[in-house]
Amino acid sequence: MAEVHVIGQIMGATGFSESSLFCKWGIHTGAAWKLLSGVREGQTQVDTPQIGDMAYWSHPIDLHFATKGLQGWPRLHLQVWSQDSFGRCQLAGYGFCHVPSSPGTHQLDCPTWRPLGSWREQLARAFVGGGPQLLHGDAIYSGADRYRLHTTSGGTVHLELSLLLRHFDRYGVEC
Amino acid sequence: MKSKEEKVKIITEEFVDGEDAEEERQKKPSKFPRQKRKKQLPAASHEEMVSEKSPVDDQQKPVQEGSDTRLLGMTSRRGARSLPPIPSTSRTGFAEFSMRERMREKLQAARSKAESALLQEIPTPRPRRFRSPTRKESETEFGTELDREVQRTQQENDSQGYSRVKFHDSARKIKSKPPVPPGFPSAEEAYNFFTFNFDPEPEESEEKPKAKHRHGANQEEKEGEEEETPVQEGVSKIDEEEWLDGKDAEDLLLGLDHAAEDFVAVRPADYESVHVRLQKEKELLFVPSRRTVPTYKKLPENVQPRYLEDEGLYIGARPEVPRTNQNIMENRLLIQEPGRRWFGDDGRILALPNPIKPVPSRPPMLTQDQDIKAELETLYKKAVKYIHRSQHLIGSGDSPGNFQLDIDISGLIFTHHPCFSREHVLAAKLAQLYDQYLARCQRNKAKFLTDKLHALRNAVQMGLNPAKTPKTLETTPKTINEYKSEIRQTRKLRDAEQEKDRMLLKTIIKVWKEMKSLREFQRFTNTPLKLVLRKEKVDQKADEEAYEAEIQAEISELLEEDMEEYEQKMEAYRVTRQQWRAWKKAQRARKKKKKQEVEEHPADEEKEEPGPGEEPEKPVPPEPVDRAVIEQQVRERAAQSRRRPGEPMLVPELSLAGSVTPNDQCPRVEVLRREDVKRRSLFLKVTFNNKEVSRTESRPLGADFRVHFGQIFNLQIFNWPESLTLQVYETAGNSGTTLLAEVFLPIPETTVVSGRAPIEEVEFSSNQHVTLDHEGVGSGVPFSFEADGSNQLILMTSGKVSNSVAWAIGENGIPLIPPLSQQNIGFRSALKRADAISSIGTSGLTDMKKLAKWAAESKLDPNDPSNGPLMQLISVATSGESYIPDFFRLEQLQQEFNFVSDEELNRSKRFRLLLLRSQEVPEFRHYKQIPLYDREIMEKVFQDYEKRLRDRNVIETKDHLDTHRATVAKYLQEVRESVINRFLIAKHHFLLSDLIVEEEVPNISILGLSLFKLAEQKRPLRPRRKGRKKVTAQNLSDGDIKLLVNIVRAYDIPVRKPTASKFHQTSRSSRTYSEKHVASPTTHSPVHNADYPLGQVLVRPFVEVSFQRTICHTTTAEGPNPSWNEELELPFRAPNGDYSTTSLQSVKDDVFINIFDEVLYDVLEDDRERGSGIHTRIERHWLGCVKIPFSTIYFQAKIDGTFKISVPPVILGYSKERSMVTERGFDSVRSLSEGSYITLFITLEPQLAPGESVREKFDSQEDEKLLQATEKFQAECALRFPNRQCLTTVVDVSGKTVFVTRYLKPLNPPQELLNAHPSGPQATAELVARYVSLIPFLPDTVSFAGVCDLWSTSDQFLDLLAGDEEEHAVLLCNYFLSMGKKAWLVVGNAIPEGPTAYVLTREQSHYLIWNPCSGHFYGQFDTFCPLKSVGCLIGPDNIWFNIQQYDSPLRINFDVTKPKLWKSFFSRSLPYPGLSSVQPEELIYQRTDKVATAELQDRIEKILKEKIMDWRPRHLTRWNRYCTSTLRHLLPLLERNQDDVEDDHRAELLKQLGDYRFSGFPLHMPYSEVKPLIEAVYSTGVHNIDAPNVEFALAVYVHPYPKNVLSVWIYVASLIRNR
Repeated sequence: MAEVHVIGQIMGATGFSESSLFCKWGIHTGAAWKLLSGVREGQTQVDTPQIGDMAYWSHPIDLHFATKGLQGWPRLHLQVWSQDSFGRCQLAGYGFCHVPSSPGTHQLDCPTWRPLGSWREQLARAFVGGGPQLLHGDAIYSGADRYRLHTTSGGTVHLELSLLLRHFDRYGVEC
Repeated sequence: MKSKEEKVKIITEEFVDGEDAEEERQKKPSKFPRQKRKKQLPAASHEEMVSEKSPVDDQQKPVQEGSDTRLLGMTSRRGARSLPPIPSTSRTGFAEFSMRERMREKLQAARSKAESALLQEIPTPRPRRFRSPTRKESETEFGTELDREVQRTQQENDSQGYSRVKFHDSARKIKSKPPVPPGFPSAEEAYNFFTFNFDPEPEESEEKPKAKHRHGANQEEKEGEEEETPVQEGVSKIDEEEWLDGKDAEDLLLGLDHAAEDFVAVRPADYESVHVRLQKEKELLFVPSRRTVPTYKKLPENVQPRYLEDEGLYIGARPEVPRTNQNIMENRLLIQEPGRRWFGDDGRILALPNPIKPVPSRPPMLTQDQDIKAELETLYKKAVKYIHRSQHLIGSGDSPGNFQLDIDISGLIFTHHPCFSREHVLAAKLAQLYDQYLARCQRNKAKFLTDKLHALRNAVQMGLNPAKTPKTLETTPKTINEYKSEIRQTRKLRDAEQEKDRMLLKTIIKVWKEMKSLREFQRFTNTPLKLVLRKEKVDQKADEEAYEAEIQAEISELLEEDMEEYEQKMEAYRVTRQQWRAWKKAQRARKKKKKQEVEEHPADEEKEEPGPGEEPEKPVPPEPVDRAVIEQQVRERAAQSRRRPGEPMLVPELSLAGSVTPNDQCPRVEVLRREDVKRRSLFLKVTFNNKEVSRTESRPLGADFRVHFGQIFNLQIFNWPESLTLQVYETAGNSGTTLLAEVFLPIPETTVVSGRAPIEEVEFSSNQHVTLDHEGVGSGVPFSFEADGSNQLILMTSGKVSNSVAWAIGENGIPLIPPLSQQNIGFRSALKRADAISSIGTSGLTDMKKLAKWAAESKLDPNDPSNGPLMQLISVATSGESYIPDFFRLEQLQQEFNFVSDEELNRSKRFRLLLLRSQEVPEFRHYKQIPLYDREIMEKVFQDYEKRLRDRNVIETKDHLDTHRATVAKYLQEVRESVINRFLIAKHHFLLSDLIVEEEVPNISILGLSLFKLAEQKRPLRPRRKGRKKVTAQNLSDGDIKLLVNIVRAYDIPVRKPTASKFHQTSRSSRTYSEKHVASPTTHSPVHNADYPLGQVLVRPFVEVSFQRTICHTTTAEGPNPSWNEELELPFRAPNGDYSTTSLQSVKDDVFINIFDEVLYDVLEDDRERGSGIHTRIERHWLGCVKIPFSTIYFQAKIDGTFKISVPPVILGYSKERSMVTERGFDSVRSLSEGSYITLFITLEPQLAPGESVREKFDSQEDEKLLQATEKFQAECALRFPNRQCLTTVVDVSGKTVFVTRYLKPLNPPQELLNAHPSGPQATAELVARYVSLIPFLPDTVSFAGVCDLWSTSDQFLDLLAGDEEEHAVLLCNYFLSMGKKAWLVVGNAIPEGPTAYVLTREQSHYLIWNPCSGHFYGQFDTFCPLKSVGCLIGPDNIWFNIQQYDSPLRINFDVTKPKLWKSFFSRSLPYPGLSSVQPEELIYQRTDKVATAELQDRIEKILKEKIMDWRPRHLTRWNRYCTSTLRHLLPLLERNQDDVEDDHRAELLKQLGDYRFSGFPLHMPYSEVKPLIEAVYSTGVHNIDAPNVEFALAVYVHPYPKNVLSVWIYVASLIRNR
């Protein structure tokens, strides 16, 4: 019966080698959670920074959850994509972070990674774009033996999330 | 130099600060010496002494000076501080001062000396003197890191300081040349002293706290020492700074052009021989020896080396180190650290085992071939052009893999079929029984049980005779008892089995006999079945003996048991008897006592008497066991269930050897049956996950009711099968196939692969009822074998399918089975192998207790590996008391940590409300705020919603008078809901233009135009219309929006008939006011008279606008062509106060514009009062109305034009005879068309932005090329004429894009209509148009709010009986086409509908434009034609776009063959591909039910009457029955011929109702619902008459047209009796 509001924005991203970035995001929750209103997933616009290297999206996130337990606290998974001058999109990084569990405003930095692939694929990526992508997106936030995956780091996505919690104290959860 | 500045700052601060600063100052310089003090103290003190004495020592002076370079800062500071010539108060201060003075003197001296000394100083190798000692130190103090660190920083510092000081020094040196009085520095010198010496001390800040710390403790002490410290410090600097002077001098030399000889002296190189150097080095350096150190040195005294390895302990291999290195290390350690902690017990240096792997290896390389976890697999994807539609995140890739399921259907056997004859039924029964018999024989349970019994008996025997068995201990009485009980049970079982066997045999024989008798009775045989009973001879004697022995054994056992029982009973009896006796005795004693007591106290007698019930009964001794009785029982039972001894064993054998009677010998019914069987054939459909995947061939049903298929289906599947079903279909002759039954096949286990799967028989049955007219018994129908029909049987069609299902094996031998993850039955499959299911059923599996009980009972061998999993399961289940759930939980412990249960969560009203709001459920969509607490939400909020959910399937007939409309309304509602749901999602898609408003960059032409405008002349008399601002419907509330109706003028209003006045003159007082009092002084203006030259008021019309039950009216004008020019303002109220676009689009209200005639009546009762007062009553007579839907206004933003007023066909007392009036100039125009017109301007204030229809790309079945062509065509058209509509594709009801010409196709109108006017084609066309117009109009925009136009086909339209212009137009066009006319669909703009569709027909010489919704038609050149512009024409095979200059139908040429005027879609380059129509072949019309129509008529009438009474709450409403019946007669006449009835009508009415003043009119409408009818009656305002003696008449007539199209006539009238 406790409620959680997640209100905030995906501010932008820094540190990506590509310019023209956009971000697909989604929120994953456990079975105990119920989305009352708001959209679970979305996609930002493409931002091409003119000054500085931070791509600003300022993409709003506004979700209202009801929950009957703490398990499966919402997690945010992100995919940063870059768009080249031909309008083609390629993956620039996967990222994942937990939604904070204390009320208030939080600044989050979510580092990202992307699969490296074989040298052929790297070469292809460097010249013709594209690149290896995860077949199953949920490997971003689950999967025990991800260590087999060869990845390289992408940039960082900056988020600002505010949390409102309600009725958690009723069930003995202090926040 | 930064640090320098800093210093300066510090100094200034220090001036301000008092003692604190002083303290600080001391710390700063003291830090170097402090670190070295330990070693240097003796030297320092010595030098202090020297300085104290101040001898002019050559060696010392430069040193002093050097030291001062560092210290000068301090001294100067002090100097500055003590600069004021006040002698310092403190002793220390003074001492300091004097010391400085001394120092300065020395400095001077040194400086003068320096020059001379320079030459000597230069060659001195400075590093040696300076560094060697420190190096030595560092060597000795190897272990302490700190020192080394300090040393390094020190060095750095020095070098830095040196370079910095250099310049100043040199400068100073030059300047110091002029002689200065000794003891006093020159001003410049002083300045230099102040400034030049502030070396940076990088580590100062670091060191400060340390120093402070140290100093903090002994501050007091320091105060005392102060005198000394600076000196000490100064001295300590000697080593560092000594060489500086030399260097300075050098610099001086190089830098300045002094004569070289003044400074330079040539000297030989200072050579130190190698020997000497080595000697010196030897003193300083330590070179550890390379020789092996003897072990005893490394070990403590008197300790023998211990070798752990020899003692058997494991010691790892030591890392390999060269021996010499090791020796050096050991020697060094021994010298440096005398302790032996570096050495182990064996005298070697301690070492960890070698960490290096013996074999060199690489980290494993992950090659591509290696199997990577499926979810971690990556896929190289090309950079793709982003598709905007797939906006959802992270779609999982398609899972690869195709699996195969082999289904082998071998055949089908019916155990019952409707075509079975009676004999077949019996045969089937027999076969079944025989099968059962065979199965039992195979199992032979009776024999097994008998054997078991024997074995048990033997065991008991052994147990009873302990002498025979060696192990006496084991056979305890307990086990014997157990055996005995088991014997008992086994015997019972065996008896039962034997009895069953016998019964079965008996039944088989009985059925066979029945069959034989049946065959005899009917004199033919249908089945080849034949039963032979084989008798097996048995040895009579042996048999008898065995029989007897068995019986004896049983008897003895029974006897024994009974004896035991008897014994027990006896025991019980004895006990009870004893009790009884005791009681008896007591009783007797008491009685005796009582007797005595009675004698003593006779009164107490009754009290003491015990109740008779308390007396225990006398126990009866149990009957002794009677052997004879038992024997008799046993024998009886044996006779019943067992074969009698000597009786031959009967073995039935069923064979198909019998012959079937051929057809010609059979009776007719039988032949019929056989033929019927022959006609039947069967096939099976295989459905996989409820989808049909394949079907077998259709095979005829054999005479034996067997069908052989023998087909194997290979199902390539992708996902795990949920269900696998075989559907048995039967085809009987020509009649269609029927689904007999569904057979559910079990999904095979993953271990079952093809080739190994057994053929299984799966039974099926159907609940079909079949009755046949021949010998077949049917199915589900009672029949009987008896002649009298008793003993009835009901058999259902049933049978067996033999099949096998297995997983296929792939090419490489791998079974093609989906991975187990797709299955959800992991747990049970393990159990299936165990036998448990057969014994307790599958349901028992979930109940662990039951399972465990069964396992215990059946004495399952726990060691049998086949029982392993089961036993383990049971042990887990029963021991730990934890149950194993039959489900898999993703989040374990979720349940335990839940705050609340699911139910409670779902019960929360707040959450529910929030969810419903976010799902945009209509009832909750407009909710803005939701209460914070559950208790604040009323339960009734959900009531409507729940009711709607409940009622979804219930057809409500309350609002709709006939059920057909109700179902249609329901269907429409469903379509609407599904479409809306689909579009709700689509609405959340945004285009770029939705989000970004990009002002177009002005190009040169626009700029030029605007510039031109600036230069334009101002023309105030020619005002321009300014575009109004559109308001988005967000912040609106009730009352913000107004509907503005500007009524300009009307033409050709019906006028009162002069004849009417004639009639009225007959009456005494109720003459029209104006007639009578033309000359009398009235309120009327004189114009009044002028207007009516004949002295008669023709008509006094006014307009009343009603909208949402708000009514406004204009003033009254006069004459048939009145001009009002008035603006009326009506408030608009949106439903639910929701002003969102979707809500506004669905507003269904209409604006009614009614034209009334105002009639004044004189109501003066008394003629005498006429002179003194005026008493008139105003009556208004309805003349006509214009109805404009709100949605039209909303979408058009404004409506401006002249509209035809819909005037009732007959208005009593009015006529439209223009001959009466000769009017100004409009005759020429008016003569072209009949009817009255009104000019209106309607708009909304503020203007609302209409919602846009959804631009969703629909899927289509059209050819891709065609779609591309349409896009191209439309783009081309839009380029040339952006305002003209071009229609190529439309959306059908199912949401698919369809090419528009597919809608046009000749379709037959109802025959009835064609027959009505056999001669006049024009009349027929009009009738057809009227028929179409009678289908109710329902705009799409209302029904599908916010959704684009949907086109339904004509049959759908006729079924729905509702549609908008397109549907009407399409239907009408299709009718015209089938009537042989040349007809097109005109797409254009009309008034008031806006974008619409009309129908154009080509008559002989001219074109006619038909309005399909009203049924009216107009000539091409009719100015009153509502169609104002033509965009394109659509024919059945082409589309023509209007490319003429004008688009008004008046000015264009409709000849589509001219390519210059009409651009056609299909042309030579793109020929018409012959598109098939979406319309049906033919329209089928049902005749409308006359009875239902009549009923509807009555109901409407009743409802309307009630409504009129409701509207007159303050008055009595009287109904004139006579008039009503008259009107009822008139209405059908009106329907029949609509023109020229007026006169007859009037005459008729007058004849009937001479005494009444009558005002009324018939209304005509298409029928859809009752509500519009009520609205229409209300809008006429007939009920508003409140004269006291008014009576009403209302008649309704519903005329049925085919296909439930109903034309409704309502005649409302008010009557006032003339007195």
